[in-house]
Amino acid sequence: MIPVTTRYSKTVRTLFRELAGAGDLAADGGKAVSGEAAALDRGAWVRFAARIEGERFADCRFRAFGCPHTLAAASLVAGRLRGAPLAAAYSIDAAGIARELEAPAEKMGRLLVVEDALRALLAEFGRVQ
Amino acid sequence: MPGEEAVYLDYAAAAPLDPRVAAAMAACLADPALQANPASTHAAGQAAAERVGAARAQVARLVNAEPEAIVFTSGATESVNLAVLGAVRAAGKDRRHVVTSRIEHRAGVAACRQLEREGHAVSWLAPGRDGLIEVEQVAAALRADTALVTLMHANNEIGAVTDISAVARLCEARGIVFHADAAQSVGRMPVDVALPGIALLSFCAHKLGGPKGIGALYVRRRPRPAIQPLQFGGGHERGLRSGTLALHQLVGFGLACELAGAALAEEPAQVRSLRERLWQALQPAAPLWRNGAADPSAPGILNVGFAGIEGESLLFELDGALHTTSGAACSSATGEPSYVLRALGLSDEAIQASLRLSLGRGITVADVDRAAAMLVQAVARLRAVLPAGALERIA
Repeated sequence: MIPVTTRYSKTVRTLFRELAGAGDLAADGGKAVSGEAAALDRGAWVRFAARIEGERFADCRFRAFGCPHTLAAASLVAGRLRGAPLAAAYSIDAAGIARELEAPAEKMGRLLVVEDALRALLAEFGRVQ
Repeated sequence: MPGEEAVYLDYAAAAPLDPRVAAAMAACLADPALQANPASTHAAGQAAAERVGAARAQVARLVNAEPEAIVFTSGATESVNLAVLGAVRAAGKDRRHVVTSRIEHRAGVAACRQLEREGHAVSWLAPGRDGLIEVEQVAAALRADTALVTLMHANNEIGAVTDISAVARLCEARGIVFHADAAQSVGRMPVDVALPGIALLSFCAHKLGGPKGIGALYVRRRPRPAIQPLQFGGGHERGLRSGTLALHQLVGFGLACELAGAALAEEPAQVRSLRERLWQALQPAAPLWRNGAADPSAPGILNVGFAGIEGESLLFELDGALHTTSGAACSSATGEPSYVLRALGLSDEAIQASLRLSLGRGITVADVDRAAAMLVQAVARLRAVLPAGALERIA
């Protein structure tokens, strides 16, 4: 087996160690939406919850089941959205996440679950708007 | 091997080399009187051959065999291949059927798959949810043209133990060659090849504190089962395994067997006790479950599943602190989900949530308690970020 330390990039290791943005939104009002995607046969299940104020993400949190890349990707996306304009979410996709995490090709299926969860969140926002 | 702070619980993959074995091997390598080829007829060669004989006797004693019945190989994988392919190919065209199980080590599975490609029929026995293969299943699978029954003694992933004594008697009564893959049991629990019906038995050094790269195949002498060799050359090892013997490896293997034999009276019970302590200490991480039967089982193997946990993340969380193997990667270097756990009926999610913890000589109560504490903490951290409902679904 390849040693863990060489199988994961420094970015993945940092994100996994900190899991920043994990958990639930604080119950302090504002418009909250969520999106979820799962593919348990691939070992991934991701849920994003965001609070939106005006045209910005005031906060974004995630919950996830999956490999280190899945958890790191969910944390990366949640961190990227917090404080960002809504439009920023549409430029995030699995391919970009994979590049940023230096993820191997076999992880793409799980990163697509992360992207699907984000798309579900945006679709939910479109419905409630 | 583990650093000072790490807990090593991967004895089923390889036990740490016993320092006494390492010293004996180093001494052998450095001894000017032991540099000749043991097959050479001159005095220096004969000095080396004497050491080979001494090692062969040590290895044989551990399984209650005659020294002449031990064929040295490069490890259990080669032993299993020699036993399975060699015995079936030698059985002739009228005996083209093999009985094995779905939870064999990959060496046994691959050897039987090769026989299928060569036109042989293979019956793959399915274990119960407890991982046990019963003698009645073997009896029901036997045919008039069965050449070989090959089964693991102790399973490498879940530790379930097959009653090889009963299977061997059954085979003997039917005139069928029986091979036991005993890589996980020799040196860890009593193994006696003098039991009626055991014709072939594979094992290796690195599971019992010896070096990697050396193993043995026990080949019963009377009656001797017919075996075709897999490699050819100088006719070493009774013509079954040509190739110059690596004396330092044999010295290490021999001493490891002697040390394991001396510890057999007490060590299995001690290791089993530590394993049960570990299982109890993991209970705060409930919901969790045990894969495979607690008894009969190899003393040091505990396969445990944690609801809602993905094995790769759990191993990553523990990296550097606890060395072990996840159910998602138990099948050697392939990274595929464990076919052994699948054969037990586990879902993909339950396989991913499973971890093999294997203990052996040198593990202490403090190691067990520390490993359990690390696991409980890691499981709690990963569960804290699960989506709602995941704990119930992923089990």
